[in-house]
Amino acid sequence: MSKEKTKMIHIQIDGKSLEVREGTSVLEAALQAGIEIPHLCYHPAFPSEGSCRMCLVEIEGRPDLELACSFPVKDGMKVSTQSEEVTKARKNMLEFLLAEHPLDCPICDKAGECKLQDYYEQYGFFESRFEEKKEKKEKKVEIGKTLLLDQERCILCTRCIRFLKEITGTRELGLFNRGVHTGVNIYEGNPVENNYSGNLVDICPVGAITDKDFRFQTRNWFLGSGPSICPLCGRGCNIDIEYHPGFPHFPVPKRVYRIGPRENHRVNGYWICDYGRYHYSYIDEDRQEQIVDNKKEKLDSWERVLDFLKERIKKLYYMNKTSRIAVLTSSWLSNEELFLIRKIFQEDLNVEKIFLTDPLPGEEDNLLLTPERSPNSKGASQMGLNFKELDLNKLAERTEVLLMFGSHITEHFATAQTQEAIGGIETKVLLNPHISDLNSLMDVVLPTCVIAEKEGTLTNVKGLVQPFSPVFEAKGHCRPEWEVLVNLAKKLALNFRYYSPFTSVKPIFKKMQKEIGFFGTKK
Amino acid sequence: MIRVLGNFIEIIRGSVITARHFIVNMWFHIVNLLGIKTQRKGAVTIQYPEEKKELAYRHRSLHRLVKRENGKPRCVACMLCATVCPSDCIYVEAAEDPDPEIQKYPSQFIIDLSRCCFCGFCVEACPEDAIRMDTSLIEVAGDNRDALVYDKDNLLR
Amino acid sequence: MSDILIVLFKIMGTLSWFLTLTLYLTWLERKESAVMQDRVGANRANILGLRIIGLFQPFADAIKMIFKEDFTPRFSKKFLHMMAPFVSFFFVAVTITAVPFGDYVKIAGKTVKLQILDFNVGLLFILAMLSLGIYGVILSGWGSRSRFSLIGGMRGAAQIISYEVALGLSLIGLIMVYPTLKLSSMVHFQGEMILGFIPQWGVFLQPLGFIIFFFAALAETKRVPFDLPEGESEIIGFFAEYSGLKWGLFMMTDFMEIIIISTLITTLFFGGWQVPWLAADGFHFPWGGEWLLPHWIVVLFQVGAFNIKVFFFCWLQVLIRWTYPRYRYDQLMDLGWKLLVPLSLINIVGTGIVMSL
Ligand code: SF4
Ligand code: SF4
Ligand code: SF4
Ligand code: SF4
Ligand code: FES
Repeated sequence: MSKEKTKMIHIQIDGKSLEVREGTSVLEAALQAGIEIPHLCYHPAFPSEGSCRMCLVEIEGRPDLELACSFPVKDGMKVSTQSEEVTKARKNMLEFLLAEHPLDCPICDKAGECKLQDYYEQYGFFESRFEEKKEKKEKKVEIGKTLLLDQERCILCTRCIRFLKEITGTRELGLFNRGVHTGVNIYEGNPVENNYSGNLVDICPVGAITDKDFRFQTRNWFLGSGPSICPLCGRGCNIDIEYHPGFPHFPVPKRVYRIGPRENHRVNGYWICDYGRYHYSYIDEDRQEQIVDNKKEKLDSWERVLDFLKERIKKLYYMNKTSRIAVLTSSWLSNEELFLIRKIFQEDLNVEKIFLTDPLPGEEDNLLLTPERSPNSKGASQMGLNFKELDLNKLAERTEVLLMFGSHITEHFATAQTQEAIGGIETKVLLNPHISDLNSLMDVVLPTCVIAEKEGTLTNVKGLVQPFSPVFEAKGHCRPEWEVLVNLAKKLALNFRYYSPFTSVKPIFKKMQKEIGFFGTKK
Repeated sequence: MIRVLGNFIEIIRGSVITARHFIVNMWFHIVNLLGIKTQRKGAVTIQYPEEKKELAYRHRSLHRLVKRENGKPRCVACMLCATVCPSDCIYVEAAEDPDPEIQKYPSQFIIDLSRCCFCGFCVEACPEDAIRMDTSLIEVAGDNRDALVYDKDNLLR
Repeated sequence: MSDILIVLFKIMGTLSWFLTLTLYLTWLERKESAVMQDRVGANRANILGLRIIGLFQPFADAIKMIFKEDFTPRFSKKFLHMMAPFVSFFFVAVTITAVPFGDYVKIAGKTVKLQILDFNVGLLFILAMLSLGIYGVILSGWGSRSRFSLIGGMRGAAQIISYEVALGLSLIGLIMVYPTLKLSSMVHFQGEMILGFIPQWGVFLQPLGFIIFFFAALAETKRVPFDLPEGESEIIGFFAEYSGLKWGLFMMTDFMEIIIISTLITTLFFGGWQVPWLAADGFHFPWGGEWLLPHWIVVLFQVGAFNIKVFFFCWLQVLIRWTYPRYRYDQLMDLGWKLLVPLSLINIVGTGIVMSL
């Protein structure tokens, strides 16, 4: 990304000519060209250490095999990754690594995505010749709130130590003892306590550091994975949501089993914070799955509810009293949804009372976590919505129809207070993915989707607009808000030509780009 | 007509074969009925509930979970059997074992035998030799579906 | 008065013989097929743990059949649907009246023929009744108002009519040889000897006629290999819409047909109740020996001989049924029209030539 021109040089790996930037290592050059060289201790985020010796390659003109991870490329260099000597060396290295390895695979949470397993399958396949007793080490060291260390499984690659040194700078882990007794551990009584400790589980190439949250929950090969965006703070870290699609004949208790980082150097690099990693229960727990009809007017289908809403809004609209409508938005909504709210309520219906209810800000750290606890506060502020200051009295005054998105208002006002204020409002509708205290105060509660179930874009604190798409199907009767809004607009017979192309998120986004400068300038 | 006549000879031959079977078998039936023991029997039938066939050494019968010396299951809930099972009829739920050398044990182990096809893949997949199909129990039956869903208690033997 | 009683008694006796045999023919069929196929056959039905090689099986079947739901499809023609099995059953059952079981017995000075009715045209009566039996088949196919049943019924009718021709023609030779149509006289006629020692049985006089008759008769029973009207296993036959006892009646009719065919073959071609060299007063061997027997022993011999012959042909038919696969429909028609009918014509001509020599 640096502007200065780096020199490009030519090398050959396995007879394939490559043009690479000067200063990269042989391993990086190979990986860029899609040539697989086994490696355990190398991680692109830190300087290489050369402790695992899996990455040995043959370089023409060098007497010995060299470590690809720490050998810089030179012009005209010829590298061979498949020669007999290399394969033999790899096999021998694997044999060394496995000599003191417990082979716990059946009970190891890493099994299935363990690099050691993979490399043994690809390059090993030898019979064990180790007849001595294996060294006993600690198998269950609690090194952090959510972390367990199994020293027997550790291959001493020091990725974890380097992570804590380079990325968090907290240096909680270190290598102790000598020779065969060498082991990773924490300094007495100082557990790994930073907001990025969960990443250790991801970067540990084997199952030495495992996650208590995921421990023994299921086997990772049962899980499917889908790209998404973490909605828990304004950073918009790119994540992979790993979910269980369910067994054909047995129910599984939940869908989402763990969250992992998805590499994106414009946002989060290789990491995500623990807050985003472990607070995924919002996806499955306390979900509003059915329409709640407190009015007992048979509002049990989306169609009926929309008709009901249409009647109420139409009446006010024809009497020119749309000032009696209040809309509570939230920056948990996607750009498209906020845009639709702006379009329908602010522009078409001339509603004045539009408020923003956001979760209360939380702590931030100096790496990724931002104080905003919603994914789209930047988007909400750029949408051109004229938010009124959140005030219950103002909100309730002469209001006849209240439309509320999300239940974050409970964080600002006590429920009793809210109840008192909005009690007199004739029609109160809540669109919420979760069951909340507000349910009993509302006439109708409509179940909506969480980010992982719908499509759209989010704007992170730095103004980067990131698309996301559904990872799995919506629960129960949940519908994405944008769909509800579009259907409502169609029901209200507002500008039919404008709303009718909005059958998916893409056309809404295109319109938004055209109409709102902020989104138009960025691509 | 000639062809049909040719068939005719075959027809007679067929009858002769079946008649021969009848007569030979009938002979042995009668001889046995008279109490004379012969090597050959009139029929190859095994009168099942009274007479039972000896199961082959490799026969795959009802599953069992092998126990450790202390009576706990040897299974470590690795779910490889559940993974390999072509009928998707095994369900394992893991839990933490206090012993750090064991760590993992199955808190639930269910085999839905009404779906099991007795292929024995689970036995083959098990890295701990914790599941076997050597009980010699082949009369697995129940009068409702739930009776065929065996849990850990039924399987540990 | 006593004549009527005697007739009633004869009817009762004959019918019970007929029905018991039918019942046990089902047993025979099971056991025989089992023995042929190295099996044991049904042997589980028991009374108080007593099994006796499955002899109670027919009763178990009967009980089951009685208690099964007698289902009449909503769309059927109720009356015809109900009638059909009875029609079938009736026409087969009445044929037994003309069959001679033995010569005669003398009881209390009365001479009683061992035959319910000694028609002048007994043979024609039997053939006529057997032909009328197809009304049952057609009615069941029609009355069920189901396409499959209808096709089965039509097929059955076509098959039976085709083979009826061969059946009738094959007997003409016999009628030419025997000077009568009266069944009892026919049997008497077969009591005489050719060359003094070969019994003058129909099979020796009319070997070709016998073979044709046998095949045509097999086709008449609608059983494998001629079971196209039923095709229990894959083609759906004329009684597809029947269940319970009515279905049972159809099955019984089938078995009764087997018995009737056996009695006919016995009577026409195998000397009926005749035992070789046995006259009314005992054996007269061709080499000159004699063995005089009392009258009742002779009667027993005769009735016994008749029964044994009938059993043998029942056995043979079951054997055939369990040996062959089914004919294809065109093959079936080929066999009937292109082989059996021409052969029987040849037989008639040949018989004529031989007789006129
Ligand atoms: S770290 Fe890898 S090789 Fe070692 S026990 Fe775990 S899965 Fe197996
Ligand atoms: S715990 Fe994992 S990351 Fe750390 S040194 Fe051991 S193997 Fe490497
Ligand atoms: S025998 Fe086969 S089908 Fe049955 S439980 Fe084992 S793997 Fe599954
Ligand atoms: S494969 Fe063996 S150890 Fe693993 S869960 Fe099944 S029975 Fe248990
Ligand atoms: S990756 Fe090069 S030594 Fe580990």
